[in-house]
Amino acid sequence: MTCDRIEELMAAFADGELRPEERAEVERHLRDCPSCLALLDSLRTADAALARFPEVEPPAALREKLYAVPARRKFRFGLDVLLRPALQPVLAAGLFLLTLFTFYMFSPAKAEINKAVSRQFHLGYSRIEKLYAKAGSITDSLGGFADNVLVSLKKVNPLSKSDE
Amino acid sequence: MLVDLYSKKIFNMSYQFAGSFQEAEDLTQDIFVKLHHSLSKYDFGKNFTAWFLTLAKNHLIDEYRRTKWEKKQRDDFDEHVRTEASADDPEHGLAEEENRALLWSGLNDLPNDMRMAVILKEIQGKTYEETAEILGLPVGTVKSRINRGRLQLAKILRDRKESAHDL
Repeated sequence: MTCDRIEELMAAFADGELRPEERAEVERHLRDCPSCLALLDSLRTADAALARFPEVEPPAALREKLYAVPARRKFRFGLDVLLRPALQPVLAAGLFLLTLFTFYMFSPAKAEINKAVSRQFHLGYSRIEKLYAKAGSITDSLGGFADNVLVSLKKVNPLSKSDE
Repeated sequence: MLVDLYSKKIFNMSYQFAGSFQEAEDLTQDIFVKLHHSLSKYDFGKNFTAWFLTLAKNHLIDEYRRTKWEKKQRDDFDEHVRTEASADDPEHGLAEEENRALLWSGLNDLPNDMRMAVILKEIQGKTYEETAEILGLPVGTVKSRINRGRLQLAKILRDRKESAHDL
């Protein structure tokens, strides 16, 4: 057995969990390998030291805070809902709009902005009106075209009868 | 009542895992807040201690991944632990204290999952089955993870012994 293989088995060996034949092989290796023997000794020392690791007492102030946890949770509930990741784009958009509104409210050029907005609004409105009128004329011409088609079809039908 | 029963256990688990007393205080608080949020999800058919320790373990590992404590130093061993140990058992020698100090800092070298397994089994004294239940892993996986952790810690002690011998 190589030292690497012994290392793999060492913890189980220390715990007495190896099969008798494996155990005998490990023991044989340990007799001739001081390095592995030193590792086994260190493993036993480490196990013993970890098992006797002292527990520490939590500070009294921490216990007080822990007793207050349910009350704190109720208080924090509203804030937790607001801080949900899903709401972050909405909050960001709201903040952006609020910033724009603040700039508008306190801008010295507020009257000019109002005028420009009003001009743009009227421009847009008149464009929509024109578009609507155009749409109406197109509908009318399409209606006329449809009438012409119907008249043509009626004219075509008697001809086809006479052909027969 | 939950605080009386579990605060010491959770605080020690946090302290041994994070290595910082201050950090352990914050983590313990976070875990108890999480517990109050999650109590409604507890299935009464399950073992409460294992369920709570799993919740604590998940929080500790999530925080470890988020903040990367391994970049930070652990508290000095004698800062909080050594005094208590000496009071509990005044007979044990300097060498044993030195070994514990080495193991304490050596815990930082273990990967987080391995460190948690070693803490639960070797320090907190849980059985392999209990540790496996808390970690949500098969017993065999937990056993090999713990054994590799023990071996890594043993190598730290062996190397230290050898370098002391060379001097």
